[in-house]
Amino acid sequence: MTNRLDRWADPPLLVLASLADEPKHGYAITQDVAQTMGVRLSAGTLYAVIARLEARGLIEPLESDDRRRPYRITAAGAEALAMQSERMSKVASLARERLSTRLGWSGA
Amino acid sequence: MTRPPSPGLLARAALALYPPSWRARYGDEVRALLEESGGGLAAVASLAWRALPAWFWPPRHLHDRPARMRASLGTALMFWSMLAGLGLVFAQLTQLQSLMAPGYAEVRWAYAVFDGSLALSALVAGLGGLPLWLLMLRRARRERRARDMLYLLLPVLAPVAYLAGLAVTVRLVGGPNGVSLSWFLAVTLAGFAAAAIAAAGPGLALRRLQPRGPALRLAAVASVVAAAIMAVAAVAIVVAVVILCLWARQFSGYHNFTTPGIYLALVVATATVTTASAARGARAALHTGA
Repeated sequence: MTNRLDRWADPPLLVLASLADEPKHGYAITQDVAQTMGVRLSAGTLYAVIARLEARGLIEPLESDDRRRPYRITAAGAEALAMQSERMSKVASLARERLSTRLGWSGA
Repeated sequence: MTRPPSPGLLARAALALYPPSWRARYGDEVRALLEESGGGLAAVASLAWRALPAWFWPPRHLHDRPARMRASLGTALMFWSMLAGLGLVFAQLTQLQSLMAPGYAEVRWAYAVFDGSLALSALVAGLGGLPLWLLMLRRARRERRARDMLYLLLPVLAPVAYLAGLAVTVRLVGGPNGVSLSWFLAVTLAGFAAAAIAAAGPGLALRRLQPRGPALRLAAVASVVAAAIMAVAAVAIVVAVVILCLWARQFSGYHNFTTPGIYLALVVATATVTTASAARGARAALHTGA
């Protein structure tokens, strides 16, 4: 079932998470995000995000002879991703705890 | 039966909506992505939709500030000239006809504000642009670039040629009450053409010579000051024309609102484009540390 909150997924965070293990080019990022996180990033959204992350120094392009230029996460990007992951982890824990108290929900 | 456009064509059309610097940096990658993923109308539509923020909030690392200043200066100069032309038409049809509306002091005030603003704006634009103009002129002379010399001299040559033509026209076809309406329209259109040519010259020289540095920044900052002052002149025009048309129509000479309405729409549109372009150039000038 499609989650109704998918539309609020944070594309910059998804791209940073996708690049966290190894450099990837645009198509590989969209495939990775779709397979591992279940979110489809369109070309317009992906490159708007790439441009923004690159401008903020959170990712950087690698040299390539191909038109498909790979990107890798920078130290600043990894730090930002770690901080955001920590925050999201706290939110997730809190949400699980309160849902279990209220509804007896035991998680997926 | 015509074939529907291929995703490649649509993708190219969507990419064409992006700023040139964005296309130069990401265009090939986006095309490669669309080819691999199969494109599709949704992907192309998303690409087109995202073009708008790319213009309004261009990524900082793609921002070529001198190029932004030059482009804004060229646009602001062109629209400033058109606005000045519209202002001179206003002066010709009101003040120079001694068109005053007794009992409406606002009209007299609007005339005074218009005159002062136009003169001050021209002064600021001239003084602010002079160092850049001289810089480009020196370089064009040093490098023997005859075409650029001509472009840079157009702000002088075009008005002189126009005024000479105007003097000859008035002498040949003018009567005791001036020229006929058709000749007036012809002379006015020729005036706008001369203003456009005069403004296009430095704009073309800016694109070809690509100057940078303090003179460019000074011109960009002066342009926004000149544009803001010119906007005051535009407001004065609007105030005077509206009062004359609504409350003193016997003095305005217009029996319907169509002509003044079109004229005022042109004034407002031209003033808006002038101010917006100059503001973009000044923002680039004030943010640069180079």
